[in-house]
Amino acid sequence: MSDTAKLVFGAVLGVLYLVIGLLQMVGAVVGPLPGLDALSLTGNLFGGFVLLVVGAVFIAGVRKLAAGSGEGAIFVSVGFLLSVAFGLVELLALCALGLDAYLVGEWAEWSVADAVNPLLYLAVLGAVGFLAWGRTFLRGLTAA
Amino acid sequence: MMDGTCPLALLAAGTEAKVADIRAGKGMQARLFGMGFCPDARVKVQCADRGSIIVSVGDARYALSRGIAMKILVGCAKETA
Amino acid sequence: MKREIRIALTGNPNVGKTTLFNALTGSRQHVGNWPGVTVEKKTGKASRNGCEFEVVDLPGTYSLTAYSADEVVARDFILDEKPDVVVQVVDATNLERNLYLTTQLAELRTPIVVALNMADMAEAQGDPIDYRRLSAFLEIPVVRTVGTRGEGLQDLLDAAIREAETSPHHEHTIGYGNEVETLIATLVDALRTDADLSGRYPLRWLAVKLLEGDENVLAMVRGGAAFPRVEGVLSSIDADEYEAAMADKRYEAISAVLPQVRKASFREMSPSDMVDRVVTDRYLGIPIFLALMWGAFELTFTVATPFMTAIDTVVAWLAEFVAGSIEPAWLASLLGDGIIGGVGSVLIFLPNIFILFLILAILEDSGYLARAAFIMDRPLYALGLPGKSFVPMLVGFGCNVPAIMATRSIEGEKDRLLTILVNPFMSCSARLPVYILFAGVFFPEQAGSVVFFLYVLGIAVAIASAKLFRSTILPGEASPFVMEMPPYRIPTAKTALLHMWSRGSMYIRKAGTIILAGVLVVWVLASFPFGVEYGGAESFAGMIGHVLEPLVAPLGFDWKVAVALIFGFIAKEIVVGSLGTLYGTGEETLPTALLADPGLSAATALALMVFVLLYTPCVAALGVIRKETGSWKWTGFSVAYGLVVAWILAFVVGHGAGLFMGGM
Repeated sequence: MSDTAKLVFGAVLGVLYLVIGLLQMVGAVVGPLPGLDALSLTGNLFGGFVLLVVGAVFIAGVRKLAAGSGEGAIFVSVGFLLSVAFGLVELLALCALGLDAYLVGEWAEWSVADAVNPLLYLAVLGAVGFLAWGRTFLRGLTAA
Repeated sequence: MMDGTCPLALLAAGTEAKVADIRAGKGMQARLFGMGFCPDARVKVQCADRGSIIVSVGDARYALSRGIAMKILVGCAKETA
Repeated sequence: MKREIRIALTGNPNVGKTTLFNALTGSRQHVGNWPGVTVEKKTGKASRNGCEFEVVDLPGTYSLTAYSADEVVARDFILDEKPDVVVQVVDATNLERNLYLTTQLAELRTPIVVALNMADMAEAQGDPIDYRRLSAFLEIPVVRTVGTRGEGLQDLLDAAIREAETSPHHEHTIGYGNEVETLIATLVDALRTDADLSGRYPLRWLAVKLLEGDENVLAMVRGGAAFPRVEGVLSSIDADEYEAAMADKRYEAISAVLPQVRKASFREMSPSDMVDRVVTDRYLGIPIFLALMWGAFELTFTVATPFMTAIDTVVAWLAEFVAGSIEPAWLASLLGDGIIGGVGSVLIFLPNIFILFLILAILEDSGYLARAAFIMDRPLYALGLPGKSFVPMLVGFGCNVPAIMATRSIEGEKDRLLTILVNPFMSCSARLPVYILFAGVFFPEQAGSVVFFLYVLGIAVAIASAKLFRSTILPGEASPFVMEMPPYRIPTAKTALLHMWSRGSMYIRKAGTIILAGVLVVWVLASFPFGVEYGGAESFAGMIGHVLEPLVAPLGFDWKVAVALIFGFIAKEIVVGSLGTLYGTGEETLPTALLADPGLSAATALALMVFVLLYTPCVAALGVIRKETGSWKWTGFSVAYGLVVAWILAFVVGHGAGLFMGGM
């Protein structure tokens, strides 16, 4: 039962990461796409690549799970881990840029909304999965 | 008991085997002994996708280039999942 | 009663030896080099119960043969310096292989204490080790330690005191079976006739090593009184066969002990192996690696920004304060323009470097870095570089100084030299300000792409140079790849920070002294003869610029650029500041001044950026190249090669771009 839930959750996250990653990469090459403001794409080619990689890890796991291979669960767990890790990277970057804006006196022009990007908000979903399944996995890792 | 040997490099991922002989140069041989590759040691190939392989021996995991893995001969009779 | 006890810390790589060393000695340590080799020598002090300890951290080794410089250093120290106690740090989760070294240490007849480290991990894995029984079997004191939490340190020192005071030492060695033992006895008899050797080394150990075909030991015996008889014995046997048989016996003895001290537990697949399945996946491995590297750089550059802003503000304020309040004017200029301005322009990169080191420390401590080297081995091998060269290359994007120091982990001498020589082409963060200035001024629309092109060009030149060196001056193949994959661990903040500090502070000290000296030279050149405008055409710097102008004229550079490039030799970011001085503007108005200069076109700017990317490593980097290669010849080569490549490529890029854009 846990595996089914993991499969569905992993599939949803995987597709989200892949689609948004693809959109961001396309946007980075041909310029901002119309009508996608809600996604807060950054136009950063490499950021898009990272989104694709995380998505690919999830999808690889989901495919293996669907094929009945126990290994799939590991891919999904590592996917959660990567999702959270990149979310933290972006969160730290966001704090740093905010602090810098404050230091150089451009605090007024800086807003959190401008700094939000897909890696950040998708990590919220990743964190949910991580809290649900990843913690036991991580504990096993510490002991290893 | 061992009807044939083959180089460690040729084993598929997930295969377990027993080391039969090591034919590396002087220094490398001593080093491999120190790392746990010695006759009769049980080894398991963890990953064989790339130019190098990952092998576990005892509780340790090593990445070995195929060149070195060719010099470690194992009895290739047994196979476990 | 006060006693001095000298402890040598030895053990396999990746057993937490350094962590234990740090826990034992705290801040009371000294880092240097072993004489003659570029292996780091760390010593530290500790005290306990009125005893003062000098702790020497020996390099991690799998055995005591003489295969690598590390092993020779470890062995010679124990044999020649005769420490009071040798503490072997043992990984409790990997007992079998670790005890192999113990059997070899025992043959050296030196007092040993085993520190059963990472005992907590073995226990968490459900595989606790009965260390008292282990101690009884080995007849060696065994102490349970957890280096990361500082557990068991007192017990360890107490055991060391007891061992140091106990004498004589019983010999507990492996029996190699009748046939080998007879040979050993014969050899020992023969060796006894060599008074010099028998006074210095345990004879049984010499005999064992001779049977194993150890060339260092053979060289020691050669020429001595015992040599004819020894050679007689050795020529009658096949040493290769004995080496394997003896290794076998050692493992046999170990496996006889192991079941007595722990429950054999075989897990189907450890979590570590599971993660490896994903991160070394055939298709996903490299993309995951690249994504993580992107994350590392994203952190390095963004998180550092506020710190850099803060440092910049402080330095600028300090320079202004000094310039305005100190008399006479020349002293104010020396302190303000010279020292504070110059050193400040280097200090500003400290946040970048420290954050990059922290991330690397986290990746390394977690165990991922070993996997990354594994993943990158194949692509790098194709280029003639060893897989382990990728960490130095990566660090090179931050700063080439620590990057070149990081080449120490590469074993082959040629591999190491090759990695050192191509490293300066990795565009370090000091070059970024130059790109930002010129790309921003001359290519405002495509600044990002221009900077990216320069990074790629740097990598391409590094690769091409590696290929070139491999086929000319450093022939051969990258040495075979053997690397341990330590189990994944969650890195602790304390060890990661310590790790960062030990590398970062080395950078501050090394770079700091050289750069300070360099900055003084620049200031002198720019200020004299007395009374000239600082950095003006009549100053020594200006004269040098005019002399060199014909050399760089084909690239479209004038004397001001030539001077800036010379100053950039101290540290490449100084190019920006020097141009500011030479154009007689501040850094704020420099863009307008550059645009207004008819001698500078977009194509020339591109050529200049290419030149800055590739020309000679900076003074600090050269200092480490000299130190790490131990050769002025290679250091000089690095300068000459860089200049030639930079000149050619700047010429090609500049004129090529000139054809498209016009106005070269």
